[in-house]
Amino acid sequence: MNIPKTVGFPRMMKERGEKRVFLPEFIQYIASLGITVFIEDGYGSRSGFTFNDYRQGHENVRRATREEVFQKDVVIVLRSPEMAEFDLLRRGGCLISMLHYPTRPLRVARLQELGIKAISLDSIVSDRNIRLVENMHAVAWNGLEAAFDVLEKRWPALCRPDGQPIRVLILGTGMVGKHAVDAATKLGNVERNNQHMQEGGPGVIAMTVGRNVTANPQTMEMLMRQADVLVDATQRRDASKPVISNEWIGWLPEHAVVVDLAVDPYTLDASPPVVRGIEGIPQGNLNKYIFAPDDPDWDNTVPASVSSQHRRTTVTCYSWPGIHPESCMRHYAAQLRPLLKPLFAKGYDGLSLSDDFFERALYRATLKAWLASDAEDRSGRAGSSGT
Amino acid sequence: MTFTLQIGLPRMHKEPGERRDFLPDFVGKLARRGAEIYLEHSYGSGMGIGEEAYHQAGGTAVHFVSREETYRQPYVLVLRYPTDDEIRLMQPGACLISMVHYPTRPQRITFLRERGLEAISLDSITDDVGRRLVENLRAVAWNGLEVAFQTLQKTYPAPGLTSPERPPIQVTVVGVGGVGTEAVAAAIRYGDPTLRQKMLAVGAPGVQVTAVDYDLTGETAVMRAILSQTDILVDATQRPDAAKPVIPNEWVGWLPQHAVLLDLSVDPYICDKNGIVQTKGIEGVPQGNLDQYVFAPNDPAYDQLPNCVNRTHRRHAVSCYSWPGIHPHACMEVYGKQLQPILRTLIKKGGVQGIDPNGRYFERAIARATLSRLT
Repeated sequence: MNIPKTVGFPRMMKERGEKRVFLPEFIQYIASLGITVFIEDGYGSRSGFTFNDYRQGHENVRRATREEVFQKDVVIVLRSPEMAEFDLLRRGGCLISMLHYPTRPLRVARLQELGIKAISLDSIVSDRNIRLVENMHAVAWNGLEAAFDVLEKRWPALCRPDGQPIRVLILGTGMVGKHAVDAATKLGNVERNNQHMQEGGPGVIAMTVGRNVTANPQTMEMLMRQADVLVDATQRRDASKPVISNEWIGWLPEHAVVVDLAVDPYTLDASPPVVRGIEGIPQGNLNKYIFAPDDPDWDNTVPASVSSQHRRTTVTCYSWPGIHPESCMRHYAAQLRPLLKPLFAKGYDGLSLSDDFFERALYRATLKAWLASDAEDRSGRAGSSGT
Repeated sequence: MTFTLQIGLPRMHKEPGERRDFLPDFVGKLARRGAEIYLEHSYGSGMGIGEEAYHQAGGTAVHFVSREETYRQPYVLVLRYPTDDEIRLMQPGACLISMVHYPTRPQRITFLRERGLEAISLDSITDDVGRRLVENLRAVAWNGLEVAFQTLQKTYPAPGLTSPERPPIQVTVVGVGGVGTEAVAAAIRYGDPTLRQKMLAVGAPGVQVTAVDYDLTGETAVMRAILSQTDILVDATQRPDAAKPVIPNEWVGWLPQHAVLLDLSVDPYICDKNGIVQTKGIEGVPQGNLDQYVFAPNDPAYDQLPNCVNRTHRRHAVSCYSWPGIHPHACMEVYGKQLQPILRTLIKKGGVQGIDPNGRYFERAIARATLSRLT
């Protein structure tokens, strides 16, 4: 059984606007467990943190190159490294990241090929199958906050010209959708909402519909014509078909704002192809997440073969929680802390479905557990089709 | 010296319809951790579980005793908060583990402290990011909506709820906190996956949910427009002023005759000589419980409401103090799973005195819910 002694923290270099790093208190916490922590040179500098902020005189906190941090026993990085960077990992090393096993088969295959012992943060679930490392609250609230920011420029204090409440139409009522309802009725920001109420503002009506209504064009036309904000929080069973065709976007008032909380990309070369839930909207990131209808960047992220003739201002971001980096990382660190003890006590190979709550949760997120359950599913499917 | 958790599990005697008790599997796991468990005679009988099932699960660590004896144990675990008389049976220094609801029941805090008791309030056990670890808000919303749609099936006019010819069902949810957001998700699915499948199979149009927060309810004209088209009105509010309803009784008159009122908040009516001290979010809805939770407009329960409550305008109402109790087995399975790591931590730490507020995850969570640490 290999017990980890070192942890590496590489920077996330997806885009300039990606400022998220684990905060000094989290690094100090790991060091206090007797683990030697190596942070990449410049880690946290975009958020104003220096190496000394991380080290705080602790001899277990050290600085290293990107290549070196990837070589440590355990590597922790929120967003998955690029596939090419997997080669930097030590064979037999442990990668902890948002790896999204179910939707990233190529990534899973590569990790397996390289002998990486992976733990996917999005697969860490409790005995009741509830994710223990997630920030869906921030996905919904940050997305809605951006949408109301846009709307507020048109309507100061968010008062419609006719004095009526703002109408938000939310598609999907999963975990993100539920938070979106909450965020929408509070203008995406509690402080702004309190101010709005004090000034006697008209507030918000949030309307929510599921698949049984989105399939009905007549009802959808009626709802969309009244919507000031349209939110996509769907989890589609068939990602090859949009929920809202581009033609339907034309039903929205000109001033409407589209909020994209789902992060499905356009992957037209996959089989079957993957398209976005709302057809023709761009894909944003932390560098740029607001797109006006005449934005020249619109076409850069939408394949030419996808219809995008009808456009409304769209707010879209691959990493909505990253809009408020510090609060996001404080949240993730709080969720990760109890999970680290079993990992450092037993190592990846020693994890099992024991009677420790967090060890079980961690085990479920290991690549070995995923591969075992996937194989079971496959044999189950083969069995069913054979009868 | 090794610590043995001696814990009493009394039955809940609130109403005959209250059938919930912790399941044998939960008791068995406690026993395997070294606890001695004292169950009240007939524990589990409301759910058709016999004493032998508990003996089988927990072996010699399981004892069936009188109600009084369960309350005399150093630890008492009971989901719903007991009566004052039951609490008087507890010995000073003992610890009550129950849904105490500290923030809204200050009199309970005073009473427990006067009796020299410790408590762990299940609704206050939260993780480091503020999420409740022992809760069943999902069941509150889903069970309430399930009953509301069952009722609507009876009241809905021609062509009927299951007809593909009817328009989409309009559900209005007032309040979008933890319960409200669950209610939105449940409403869209008819509160019942089976009914939803049936609706899909016949091609019936779906459900459209309108969610409004407390602040919008001051807009009379807007609310009138919404209510006049509402088939099911759901109260899931947490009001800052419990003396004022969110939906005054007069507004109930704006709803279609077939509409169903669903009460998911559990506020009771309290009146004094000056009038209403506390009212339900929808004024004039009777307070239901597990014995009766559906009220037709001519139900005598309306007449039994305190005189200060306006009940002039009536619709079919569904209300229950303990919505999760509608499906007792599923409910107790959820609570049992959530409580296992809590009790395991208590045993491991030698009881509530050994809980370190800066200790491990579950210790911190328990510490946040402990009466003696409440400021």
